[in-house]
Amino acid sequence: MEKPQRTVLYDRHKALGARMVEFGGWEMPLEYPSGVVEEHLGVRSKAGVFDVSHMGRFRIRGAGALRFVQHVLSNNAEALDLAPTGAQYTLITSKTGGAIDDAFLYRFVEDEYLLVVNAANRKKDWEYLQFHAGSFAGVELVDLTYDMAMFALQGPKSRKIIEALAQDRPGLPEPYRNSVGFASIGGARVMISRTGYTGEPLGFELFVPGADAPRLWDLLTEKGAVPAGLAARDTLRLEASLPLYGHEFGIDRQGREIPCFAFPIAKWAVSFSPLKVDFVGRLALKKQFAAYSKIIARDYSSISDLPRMFKCVAVTGRGIARAGAGVLKDGKPVGYISSGTMVPYRPFEDKGLISRQAGEHKFRAISLAFLDSYVIEDDRVVVDIRGKPVDAVVVEYHLRSDAPPYGHPIVSGHKIPELPFTCPRRFCKRVESAPPSTLPEPAGAPAIGPGALVRKAVENTRWRRHECINLIPSEMTPSPMVRLLSITDPAFRYAEHKGAKAFYDTEIFYYQGTDFIAEVEWLLEEEFRTYLGCVEAETRVISGQMANVTLFSAMVDYINRADRRSEPHRIRSVMNNHIGKGGHLSAQPMGALRDFVARDPHTERPAVVNFPVLPENPYKIDVPAACELIDSCRPQLIIFGKSVILHPEPIAQIRKYLDEERIDSVVMYDAAHVLGLIGPYFQSPFAEGADLVTGSTHKTFFGTQRGVIASRFEEREEKYELWEAVRRRAFPGAVSNHHPGTLVGLLMAAYEMNFFKDHYQRKVIANAKTFARALKDLGLEVAGDPDIGFTETHQVVANVGYARGPEVAQRLEANNIICNYQALPSDEGFSAASGIRMGVAEMTRFGMEEKDFLVLAGLIKEIVVDGQNPLDEVKALRAPFGELRFCFAGKEHADLLESLRNLV
Amino acid sequence: MKEISQLATPSDVRYTLDHEWARVEGDIIRIGVTDYAQDRLGDIVFVEAPRMGKKYAKGEECGALESVKAVGEVYAPVGGEIAGVNVTLEGSPGLVNSAPYTDGWIAEVKPVDPTEMDGLMTSEQYIEMLKGFKE
Repeated sequence: MEKPQRTVLYDRHKALGARMVEFGGWEMPLEYPSGVVEEHLGVRSKAGVFDVSHMGRFRIRGAGALRFVQHVLSNNAEALDLAPTGAQYTLITSKTGGAIDDAFLYRFVEDEYLLVVNAANRKKDWEYLQFHAGSFAGVELVDLTYDMAMFALQGPKSRKIIEALAQDRPGLPEPYRNSVGFASIGGARVMISRTGYTGEPLGFELFVPGADAPRLWDLLTEKGAVPAGLAARDTLRLEASLPLYGHEFGIDRQGREIPCFAFPIAKWAVSFSPLKVDFVGRLALKKQFAAYSKIIARDYSSISDLPRMFKCVAVTGRGIARAGAGVLKDGKPVGYISSGTMVPYRPFEDKGLISRQAGEHKFRAISLAFLDSYVIEDDRVVVDIRGKPVDAVVVEYHLRSDAPPYGHPIVSGHKIPELPFTCPRRFCKRVESAPPSTLPEPAGAPAIGPGALVRKAVENTRWRRHECINLIPSEMTPSPMVRLLSITDPAFRYAEHKGAKAFYDTEIFYYQGTDFIAEVEWLLEEEFRTYLGCVEAETRVISGQMANVTLFSAMVDYINRADRRSEPHRIRSVMNNHIGKGGHLSAQPMGALRDFVARDPHTERPAVVNFPVLPENPYKIDVPAACELIDSCRPQLIIFGKSVILHPEPIAQIRKYLDEERIDSVVMYDAAHVLGLIGPYFQSPFAEGADLVTGSTHKTFFGTQRGVIASRFEEREEKYELWEAVRRRAFPGAVSNHHPGTLVGLLMAAYEMNFFKDHYQRKVIANAKTFARALKDLGLEVAGDPDIGFTETHQVVANVGYARGPEVAQRLEANNIICNYQALPSDEGFSAASGIRMGVAEMTRFGMEEKDFLVLAGLIKEIVVDGQNPLDEVKALRAPFGELRFCFAGKEHADLLESLRNLV
Repeated sequence: MKEISQLATPSDVRYTLDHEWARVEGDIIRIGVTDYAQDRLGDIVFVEAPRMGKKYAKGEECGALESVKAVGEVYAPVGGEIAGVNVTLEGSPGLVNSAPYTDGWIAEVKPVDPTEMDGLMTSEQYIEMLKGFKE
């Protein structure tokens, strides 16, 4: 046998006292003196660094590179668009649909790919790729394994370590899985990807010239990364249920080729995009995929194409299921364990989002098993452990990576302890104690039932309306008249109506008794036309989200107007604000846009491009870069507006560009948060060039909880057909009953807004600026442009520390300050939220002035920074503001209001 | 892995060829595995303890220690009946690594023939044997 090779870090491993083993032709650290258990836990609770330089690294470039990788690899390399996705898991597939190897393909720069393969397969892969490269012109294939080192830095603290070392943070990859970037660390240029093989939601792989590797290793370990060896790499990947070639891919124990779709990850690694043409193994894989699609629907008619699949198996009895052990179900053999061992884990407290690892570590025996495809989750099985039958269960997963910054072990049989609440724990956010009761509970009164419901409603209203300072920017308490009108008679009625061409577009109502509702609706449209300065308004949608869904549905209806027989096309391409940069889910493919936007055939993802943002202020769109992107993507729909909105959107500049370049995009402004700020103090979307505005009527606007859609299109214009589609998609598309009671309330709110807006809007913005400045002066990190007072809306966003948002928001709640935690542009997701988002609109309406917001800022600082609990001071600050301003007191109609109260 | 000079080999116990130890404590014999054995296995994550009340002959397999990567059998250093097992190892198998001769003991045996102890190695003999492995 050849002498094993050594990575450039061999001396570091020896110096650390690593136990070295031969692996894939390399002499590698199995574990360091602290041992695999400490290393595994170190990765899960802090950060670990692995030398993975033994893996094969091939550079592929040249004019034929894309065609070549599309042919020899299973995934769609065209989806690697540098941003947001620069890396992908892929397979080197055989003609018969098995795996020659599994691999990761990276695209750090425009014109080259980096393929990372398993060490043990490197020679085989290299020869295979060389052979196929011969059929493609312009493919340059270089083995960089010896010139370039590779590390994996994985775990919740990994990001902090990278950020502390990187000299040029803007180049770091975006906080999304599989994004790529660059950094200069210790003078070396390091290619960095957000990838890894541990299941950690925060993890990086670093590629560096071999000569710079030892220094980079030293810097990483100095910053606290725990060196971790191959043993921990294996236990971590097993816990994350990631496949290992030789166990879950390749050849099974009976000597048969394992079909790729036997491992469910294949559905992300194999692309049948028509752009891939005829890649190796396509036909066989297509057949497996068809069988897979049936099997997950529990249709086993094609099971012979995929007789066995990999499942997670957790041992519930005593023992360790190791690779090779037989698995039985109902006494019959159904397969074998492909990978298995005992792994350590540190349990999390059962505290929902703010759960943290607590206490001593424990162990659990987990495995992956190759089982007959009809074996399903929750099936009880028996593992033959050296002749002894041990109970086990098929589970969905062993670990979840979707609550960054931690990977969360999912332990079979874990029971969430119940609290003395009436609802199950999983519905209950409060975990420390029950909400304070203000009404004495009558002796012997039941905890649930009609009486209890009323009592709790009283408690909640008193607490939330009268004792809390509400800073949720999407909420507003309506005026007493708005509230009263909302429960008057049209509430609970129907008033379906539709314009009929046969009657010269007259609105035809389908029910009797609707004259009052019809008048209210017409007057409400009028108020919105006045308020927004537009031609048309649709007020039947009952939320802002529904307004967007209705508009997207109308877009689809409109773009298919010439062809009513074929399958309708979706919106070809959309430009919006990224959800991580303030965009709201009502304009995202993961939210309301999902069923209406086409898939981009190149990326196989929804055809959505995001507004580029300014590096120094991610809450502002980078206009020149956005114009460039519009030019190349030609979006059919451009959606302005977001739920973290600190500045006006550049509607006018983008409109100017569209007009100059004669680009026919529909420009929509989702005014959800800022509907009540529309006007000279913030922005006027129609005057600036928006075609359509949607909004919710209860955030900065004064209304009941509803939505609105408005349009500038005149009847003689071609695009008026889009407006007509909006009307149709509102009814009968989105609503039948449209809550006419709250429509009446909203009309009063619209009267209030049109009457009081000048004073109200100025006051809201002034209060927000004062509040933001005060928080900044008290030492909080406030988002937005400091030159204009951080905010130009009702919102103030503060960074309270990485992943601390949920905990801080909960402490504020305990002190009667209600806001929401907010993922900031640098965060991986809501569970890692660093921000709290606050809005001043509701408290401004309750009469709070700038001086009151200064006091409030001080109290927030005491809670957030000093860890104090000034609950009484908060209540005292809140107490004087009992009456809503900027509304009609109704004194002149007192008699009428009294009779209305008696009537309802 | 530890060098031989770094290994603990207390002189109050006797040793087997399979790296178990045995210590006379009154009329019972306490058994466990040596520092060498735990070091070679690595982090022990599961202990398959001998069964209470079961009788084993000298040299018979009576239990197993499992690390992340491997399984190591435990053979009875002396014949007899299991009179006690270390139940702490169920939750804290790592005690075998951190304290192999004390808190990491595995079982107590009521010996059939206490003179079987005389056939086991002294610490000096055991060290000599380990040195032999090394060469």
